[in-house]
Amino acid sequence: MSLSVQERAEYVATFRFIQVFLMETLARWVPPTPEMEVKVLFGRHIWDLAQQADALGRRGYELRAPLQFSLRPAESYVEVLEEFARTNTTPQKIHGFYDVILPGLAARYRNYLERTDRLLDEPTVRVVEKILGEFNRMIGESEALRKELSQLRLTDKDWPAGLAKREASEANIVVRRSSAAVA
Amino acid sequence: MPKDDEHSVSTAGNLDPALFGPAPARDERFTEKRRWIECANFPNDHPLRIIEFFHRQMNEELNGVENAAQSLADFPDTDWKVRMSIARQCADEARHVEMFRRIFESRGGKLGEYPILNFQYRIIANLGDLLSRLVVQNRSFEAGGIDAVSFAIDEARKRGDQELVDLFEMQQADEITHVRFANEFISETIRKDPRAALRVAKALTLASTAFLEVMGREAIEKVAYLTDEKGRLEAGFGLAEVKAATTQAIKRRASYESH
Repeated sequence: MSLSVQERAEYVATFRFIQVFLMETLARWVPPTPEMEVKVLFGRHIWDLAQQADALGRRGYELRAPLQFSLRPAESYVEVLEEFARTNTTPQKIHGFYDVILPGLAARYRNYLERTDRLLDEPTVRVVEKILGEFNRMIGESEALRKELSQLRLTDKDWPAGLAKREASEANIVVRRSSAAVA
Repeated sequence: MPKDDEHSVSTAGNLDPALFGPAPARDERFTEKRRWIECANFPNDHPLRIIEFFHRQMNEELNGVENAAQSLADFPDTDWKVRMSIARQCADEARHVEMFRRIFESRGGKLGEYPILNFQYRIIANLGDLLSRLVVQNRSFEAGGIDAVSFAIDEARKRGDQELVDLFEMQQADEITHVRFANEFISETIRKDPRAALRVAKALTLASTAFLEVMGREAIEKVAYLTDEKGRLEAGFGLAEVKAATTQAIKRRASYESH
């Protein structure tokens, strides 16, 4: 079943909410994170996440939503994000963000690409595919840093699996609205 | 791994808690001092002066990342265009950290070799609104940086240090962009609400008092450079503001030279 323009706008606005949330999470982590190299990594990726949110916000406008419009995802997913944002240690921040949260969001983007009509919705496809490429680069940069700094290794090896299970527990994170609530 | 409040900070001469917030976290490689006088202040002709400067500047750029990131986190309702500029500043300052780290290490420096100061973060993140923070971080400290870097470019060129000229020129271009967006935000805020000018004045007074407490008169009066008028105009300052800054810089230098 194909998606309507409004449904596409809802997906895009929900993705934008997550991108902004992740940008703010990295930003909040920068001052209390001790390692200089990690602050630098987060600082660079804040700008990546902002640009991705911006591209989604402009695409949402083309889909007849207000410019730079965000929709709050399903509450259970927001709770996972909020709990993760309170993570204290640097290894958990790094592993959780780059091994669980970003790949989880990438899976949701890929799912969207499978559902949408790639011809009708080509501008969104291009935005999302660009973001997916950038996620790969960001994850690669975090892996390179982990190789450089051994103290970033996670001691609790089960922790990411637990987070991944919670992250994936809500398959559909888009909350349907009336058209008036989106426009 | 040390936590936020466990890294090494000198206890000599506590700073006024009304003017300074908590320090940002640093790992065990770094030793934080509170005042300029406690740092490794080599004489102008000392071979280590420039190496120590790279280390100090690297940490100041890290304060730039921390301040921009803190503002992004603290003020989620700010206009998206301004948030985009602040996010961009996070990445620019992070790149500057890496630029200064690269030149510092390539010339024999070792991370943590010299003490650091975190006064910029402690002053700016302590201000309660975005207008005040951008006034101090971008319009005051970074604008001062435009002037300082112009002087440093000339000095590096005289020494034939092209690597450093290239670094400073890139840093200056980025700083002009940061000051420009802050100037636009400040002008627009005051245009909408003229009373905001009072907050600007208060923030500058607080920052100036705090800056003096950290640096002392000795460090401030030693500043040799004047104003980069072209850079400041590009960064969105008005002609009258630029001329006033130049007059102030000339007076400061004359006062130092007369001692």
